[in-house]
Amino acid sequence: MKSKSWIWGVTIAACLAASAWAGTFGKVVAIGGHASDLALDEGRGVLYIANFTANRIDVMSLADNTVQRSINVPSQPSSLSVSPDGKYLVITHFGNAEAGQSSRNGLTVINLESSAKQTFALGSAPLGVAFGIDNLAFIATATDFTLFDPVLGTMRTLDTLSGLKIKTIPQPAASFPPNITQASIAASRDGLWIYGSTDQLDFRYDVTAKHVEPSFYTSSPPSGPRTVSVNADGTAYVTGWTLNNRTFDLISEFPSAAGTFNIGSQSIDSSRNLIYAEIPTSTDPLGANQKAILQVVDSDNLAVRERLQLAEHLAGKSVLSNDSNTLYSISDSGVTVFPVGNLSRERRVTVSQEDVVFRGSFCDRQAASQEITLLDQSGLNTDFSLTNIPAGVRVSPTSGTTPARIRISVDPAGFQNSRGSTVANITVNSTRAINLPTSIRVVVNTRQPDQRGTFVNIPGTLVDILPDPSRARFYILRQDKNQVLVFDSNSNTQIATLRTGNIPTQMAITFDRRYLLVGSNDSQLLYVFDLETLQATPPVRMPGGHYPKSVASSAGAILVANRVAGPLHTIDKVDLNTRTATQLPSLGVYKNDININTALVASANGSSILAAEADGNMLLYNSNADTFTISRKDTTSLSGAYAASSFDQYMVGNTLLNSSLVAVRQLETGTGLSSGFAFVDQGGLRITAPNAAAPGIIQKVDLQSGTGSGVTRVIEAPLLSDSTGTLPFTRTLAPLANRTAIIALTTSGFTVLPWNYDAAVAPPTIDRVVNAADFSQPIAPGGLITVFGTNLSPISQSTTSGSLPTALADSCLQVNGLGVPVLFVSPTQINGQLPNFDGNTTLTVYTPGGVSDNFNLTILPAAPSVFRISSVGPDGTNAAILRSSNNQLVTPSNPIHRTDTIVIYATGLGRTSPEVPPGTPAPTDELAGVIIPPVITVGGVPVSVEFAGLTPGQIGVYQINVRMNSRIPLGLSVPLVISQGAGSTSLQVRVVE
Amino acid sequence: MRFLLYTLTAALTVLPAFAQKYEISLAGGGSFYQSHTVTNPKGDADAGFATGWAGSVAVGNNMYRHVGGEIRYTYLHNDAKLKSGSTTANFGAEAHLINYDFLIHATSTEATVRPYVAVGGGMKLYRGTGTEVPFQPLSNIALLTKTSDVQGMLSVGTGVKVALTSRMSFRVDVHDYITPFPRKVITPALNSKASGWFNNIVATAGISFAF
Repeated sequence: MKSKSWIWGVTIAACLAASAWAGTFGKVVAIGGHASDLALDEGRGVLYIANFTANRIDVMSLADNTVQRSINVPSQPSSLSVSPDGKYLVITHFGNAEAGQSSRNGLTVINLESSAKQTFALGSAPLGVAFGIDNLAFIATATDFTLFDPVLGTMRTLDTLSGLKIKTIPQPAASFPPNITQASIAASRDGLWIYGSTDQLDFRYDVTAKHVEPSFYTSSPPSGPRTVSVNADGTAYVTGWTLNNRTFDLISEFPSAAGTFNIGSQSIDSSRNLIYAEIPTSTDPLGANQKAILQVVDSDNLAVRERLQLAEHLAGKSVLSNDSNTLYSISDSGVTVFPVGNLSRERRVTVSQEDVVFRGSFCDRQAASQEITLLDQSGLNTDFSLTNIPAGVRVSPTSGTTPARIRISVDPAGFQNSRGSTVANITVNSTRAINLPTSIRVVVNTRQPDQRGTFVNIPGTLVDILPDPSRARFYILRQDKNQVLVFDSNSNTQIATLRTGNIPTQMAITFDRRYLLVGSNDSQLLYVFDLETLQATPPVRMPGGHYPKSVASSAGAILVANRVAGPLHTIDKVDLNTRTATQLPSLGVYKNDININTALVASANGSSILAAEADGNMLLYNSNADTFTISRKDTTSLSGAYAASSFDQYMVGNTLLNSSLVAVRQLETGTGLSSGFAFVDQGGLRITAPNAAAPGIIQKVDLQSGTGSGVTRVIEAPLLSDSTGTLPFTRTLAPLANRTAIIALTTSGFTVLPWNYDAAVAPPTIDRVVNAADFSQPIAPGGLITVFGTNLSPISQSTTSGSLPTALADSCLQVNGLGVPVLFVSPTQINGQLPNFDGNTTLTVYTPGGVSDNFNLTILPAAPSVFRISSVGPDGTNAAILRSSNNQLVTPSNPIHRTDTIVIYATGLGRTSPEVPPGTPAPTDELAGVIIPPVITVGGVPVSVEFAGLTPGQIGVYQINVRMNSRIPLGLSVPLVISQGAGSTSLQVRVVE
Repeated sequence: MRFLLYTLTAALTVLPAFAQKYEISLAGGGSFYQSHTVTNPKGDADAGFATGWAGSVAVGNNMYRHVGGEIRYTYLHNDAKLKSGSTTANFGAEAHLINYDFLIHATSTEATVRPYVAVGGGMKLYRGTGTEVPFQPLSNIALLTKTSDVQGMLSVGTGVKVALTSRMSFRVDVHDYITPFPRKVITPALNSKASGWFNNIVATAGISFAF
């Protein structure tokens, strides 16, 4: 054997060198055979690899990841395990030979201290072996569960099995160990729990109680990759494409799994709450051309954090080192070693923000640009290139190395015919990065004055929106991150994030308004959140194989429409007290057999629940009767908006239905596709759009006549049914309970519309224009200004984006016809930033109500004014001057000392070098200093100005860094004067020694 | 143990005091201030220093049988404070004193017990040492400030020295150090008024060594 080991060493070293190509994660160690199982022996610094086809155990050194020796064993070592005390290695042999040949099923025990080997025959094919903390080997076979004592060599049958279909040897060519044994078994790190999976059965062995609990299942596609990984305390395990809990409930599953046995692997990393998994998907072509991708996902709901490229496919079990820093996985060539603890040092290209939003308007037709950063957080310089750049968008540079600032520019001329939001994704590529970088979503919105609403961009896939009926909140379901985003409807800012099951699909609020229920496409749990605490509460366990896609809560019942892994999709009834659900035996007189795409919605008064099915069926649940009272099918398909009223009316698509679900009105289709509908009192609100890039159309619907009124164009299109038919129904309108606004789920996030969005608006008037720092008259180029007046905006709104828009809440400013970036608008005040020119100018305000009269302004070359900060102390308002020594505001109780350096925050200091375009943050890598230097005196004594220019990262905010000296006078109220060109400003400060 | 204490006490009382020309004293004790009212149209506040501790060192010279003199350095640790109604502002502060006092003893240099009175003068350095914050309570009446203020000082006091050995005495002193209002450390706000003298009573006990 010794003579062979050096040959293996050379072979493996050669393979290692060959596999270390760039842009993939992990190192491949070839073993010259097909591995079927792994076991770590960290005490001896080795990994045992069951080489199924070469009939040996390859022993790989953990120090250098080379196979240094091999142990010859009987035929087909299929599974192995090391005892917790490190004394024994137990190996099972899958020798289930075809009829006519003798069986070679058995097990080998190797005393690792003496190297003594002992073999035992097994009565049937072994499925796997794992040691518990009691140093007894738990062995699953085709006919029983057995406990093996390696010290005594005795076996004890715990339970028997029958009916398992086990493959026989020989098998056709290109069959791999997982295809042949079709089983896997693994123990929790604490050694108290052992889980296994076979073709028809999952099982759990309680090491303490010595009790086996089986759970039979059916699966389509098959549960592959056929491996098992258990979390540290045995409360969850992952097998195939499913994550399950101790009671075999399916917590979440990987979407669109192909179910292949021999491609892929999974491993739970409990220390980081992650799962590393390669799960081939049915949507990708299988085989050699399919990319090998390791997903790093959250261990509770499988939300994807990263995708890493692999040199080759994983092909069986993975085991994690005790310090969780190294993952060993069976792969095509043998084993791949992943330094998961050092992932942060690997080349991974990331984008500083998920999307870039350009808000053009009728006020501004100039090219706009924004910057994002491409990073490799390992600190390495990694190549990148950007492709799929849409027309009208310029990107510079399109290739290079990280870190790199990428300027994305949009020429409005390229979108002059657009009236909504155009969304494009720029692909980020890298040949050396191991990850698949996320693309950059570019949203370009152009609008006309008549288009109402302000959109808040939210990246990702948004699929549902719900207003809270009793709180100033609304909820948005973000499907790609498995999150409910909770927004405060007063400020339209996000206040919480709730974690859901995998691929959440729909929400409902319980009739008592206490809980938010969230269904998912890839979880068999209905998630329940307490709306008072915004905390998760125990989920509802759905019946086996039931995935709660849609949920509705009436006064009488909570119903769930399920995708079922079985012949029929069903509606279940939820018992929230016991957190269980039961499949309804029938839906009244109708069979409980629904379309896979069924949307449920309850009326606000809880009297009924409408079930709209994509195949045209409709059902109505009556709360009083506690059963389904109506079923109709008047069309072959249904899609679009769905809603239920408290006055026995229902809306599906463009059809208004009465209490018998009979179509009573057909709404117009000229405004586009149905997207959202909401019953308000005895009327309705409806939003439609011809396509995703067009403006949305909102209107009020008279339910008696079916006619619309207040037809108004919205800033962008609402979410529309997808063309693939996987999301046929859409709920995109959320009228807030306090009737202050209507929230619509739209192309780039959500759009806020005033409740009276169609009300006539009076034209704006301008009373005065002052600098935004101290509200005094002089203003200067690039300075922040405040416009006071009336009817300046329909609503109050401030921007949260990095670069300032030129229109906000339907209002915009122009100076000499040039759009002014704005920070804040309200009916009486607009804050904005002046363009970089001076002289006599004209300012105009545009709103949906019209255009203001011209307001004449004189912009001085420099007009310094120090910001005032409202303070809680007795001084009321303080100048924004900070002492560098303690970074606190200068006040009488925090006075300037003669040894201090102070920072004065001001605006109106005029042009800078380099010049910074209005509306964009000042650069952080190159200071933008003012062109006209300021002179500062304190008590008449000049002090040294160390820097005067724009504050890095801020828009229109300047800072002057000033060093005091020993000659400045002391006093409670000493004049500090800033002079710049012809402009100056003065304020009083306290100076002490 | 009690027997040993009695023996030691008896031995000390029979020892004749041995007159030496110079002596050095180390003492520690408490420091107490009288507060002053700062007046302002918006309200008044009591300004002063909280009770603190003191440490001092002095070098003395017995010039005559009953008259001596000593130069003394004293460190005082008293936080500055303002109080108006239930609102209080505190600010770390300390003071350094250096003064010369004439000591007029009631008994001659050979006596075991020597009561005395002291009178003299010197300088007192007030220092605000607290952390400056933008918003200090009662800052509309007065401002407690991180700065220094040097004031001339009048010193009066009394005490007694008890000879323990021929070279070592136990002494107890009470001094009143009188300075003008330290306006730099406790600065009256705009429109506030504060004036008068600050009395600082310092009571110490210590040991002096003759040489």
